Amino acid sequence: MRTAFLFFVMAASVYYTFIAFTDLSFMTRTGRLGPGFFPRLVGVSMVAFAIWALVDCLREGRDSGEASGTWGDVVKLMALGLGYAVLLRLLGGFPATVIYLGLALLVINPGKYLQNVILTVTVPAAIYLLFDRLLNANMPPALLDLPF
Amino acid sequence: MEIFSDLAMGLSIAITPINMMYLLAGAMVGMIVGVIPGFGPSAGLAILLPVTFGMDPIPAIMMLAAIYYGAMYGGTITSILLNTPGESATVASTFDGFPLAKNGRAGPALVMQAVASFVGGTVGVVLITILAPMFAQVSRSFGPPEYFLLAIMGLLTLIVMIGQHWKLGLISALIGLALGTVGVDLETGQGRYTFGSAELIGGIYFIPIAIGLFGLGELFYAFYQGLHKTGTGGIVEFDKEERFWPTRLDFISTRMTMVRHSILGFVVGVIPGAGATIASLMAYSTERSLSKNKENFGKGEMAGLVAPETANNAASSGAMIPLLTLGIPGSASTAVLLAAFLMWGLRPGPLFMEQNPELAWGLIASMYLGNMALLAISIFAIPLFVQLIKVPYRVLGPTIVVICTLGTFSVNASFIETYIMFGAGIVGFFMRLYGFSPAALVLALVLGPLAEEALRQTLTISRGSFGIFVDRPASLWIIGVTIFLLGFLPLINRFGKTSGAVEKADNAGI
Repeated sequence: MRTAFLFFVMAASVYYTFIAFTDLSFMTRTGRLGPGFFPRLVGVSMVAFAIWALVDCLREGRDSGEASGTWGDVVKLMALGLGYAVLLRLLGGFPATVIYLGLALLVINPGKYLQNVILTVTVPAAIYLLFDRLLNANMPPALLDLPF
Repeated sequence: MEIFSDLAMGLSIAITPINMMYLLAGAMVGMIVGVIPGFGPSAGLAILLPVTFGMDPIPAIMMLAAIYYGAMYGGTITSILLNTPGESATVASTFDGFPLAKNGRAGPALVMQAVASFVGGTVGVVLITILAPMFAQVSRSFGPPEYFLLAIMGLLTLIVMIGQHWKLGLISALIGLALGTVGVDLETGQGRYTFGSAELIGGIYFIPIAIGLFGLGELFYAFYQGLHKTGTGGIVEFDKEERFWPTRLDFISTRMTMVRHSILGFVVGVIPGAGATIASLMAYSTERSLSKNKENFGKGEMAGLVAPETANNAASSGAMIPLLTLGIPGSASTAVLLAAFLMWGLRPGPLFMEQNPELAWGLIASMYLGNMALLAISIFAIPLFVQLIKVPYRVLGPTIVVICTLGTFSVNASFIETYIMFGAGIVGFFMRLYGFSPAALVLALVLGPLAEEALRQTLTISRGSFGIFVDRPASLWIIGVTIFLLGFLPLINRFGKTSGAVEKADNAGI
């Protein structure tokens, strides 16, 4: 997995550097350093070090430095988080937060039904009061027209 | 004498009821952030930065600074009671803090860490008061070459401290620099890496990246490590201990430890990229070498707890010097603080204290008051924090996701930034997992535009010659200091490896 991540970093570095060389000029027409100067410097260094790290990783022949752990709950938390981001757009801040917390606690904190229900209601309410009422901050509006 | 009048003016600003309220709130929140394993000041600051948007700059900056140094106080509670550092700067506090607790001296250890933190923090603020105006005076002679070199020094020292995975740290910094180039080039007006998106014209905003990397990334990593399953079963219960307060001997035997490590910690804190973690490890190592009871270190020696605690708090004060006088953040936490300053249209640097005396001196004065408040909070609210440690991660996790998400959205009411935050969170998790450095990325993202602008100006002044960096005495000094640090800092890492601190710091999120 570490090798795959390094490949991803290297591919992104190559793409960044390619744009720096093709789309961004090194010098301006007036002879000053152009918008491509710094990205080229950064891009070339990034590609060089990504290749070096990748070669090291392949030479070691194993995914060194990778701590063992549990993937299942991380993936669940990530997926729930991404779902929450989508729900926010559709339903707005408060309803999306209630649904997300309800689902997330059901999956991650199973069996504690009363605790989960209390948290599902109190946390969004407290956050809504803090952001919307006390701090007058922006809360996500709903894209869908909800009846409540 | 001018210092005293400035400080008095700062105190008159800091002591107003509304400012005091925010200061106390910041100190309390900082301690809570410090207590949560895996969440250091950077995460706390990034997550809570949006909360301060509706506030005036002075109370907001005071509150954020209090969160920053308050986290240093809180991080040690878990080091002592759980053998799990709340954040990387309190790793060294586990070496003797946890054995003290196991030996039935958890109460005295908790009180002594609060006193040591107070002494370190207060000595640090006294030194800021004296030295910050002098630093500002010196840095007035700095031009673009010096600013470029300082930015590079901050990044290189941070990367060197990563040790074995320095290449990955360097790649992280380069990714940060690359992200910093997104948006319109201010000199030519040409768009860079915007791909036709209007959202990217202004560049990639710092807040969603910082919240994603430090907030969500750390949370995902904590879940990966199984913190949500293990709970806090190993916590040392100290309610039934015979004696809660330290003995007179505890104070007498550690008074010189506090003095020397306040100064050492402050000096290390001033060095961009070094920071509180290095300061605490150095302090522990130095104290062990100087102590007559070397053999007791690691078995519950009070000086072994007091030394790193004093140093990490003094270092967090020291790190404010380059931030306030040069506008160069030395760590990820001060990078977030710099972002907060910029958000209010304030540009820290040589003229900052002169042009914004109320804010600069108000902030410094608030740090005296904040340290006093933290001393009281960290002694008398210990039972409250112990209860907080017992809140399971599986309950905290989804709540943190909600705060990160709504906090990010509230900044610019942008859904795109919320998606960027989630993307940064996932990337941040993989970075932590595979030995990359989210801190280097964030620091580079903040320093990148500054470094690019300074480099382009430098090369314009010198007509393309890099010789300008060795022609100017100030530049030569900075190059000399950088070379010295690059040689010296790996020695600290070597100590870390022998004591297992690196592994613990990695887990705590260095």
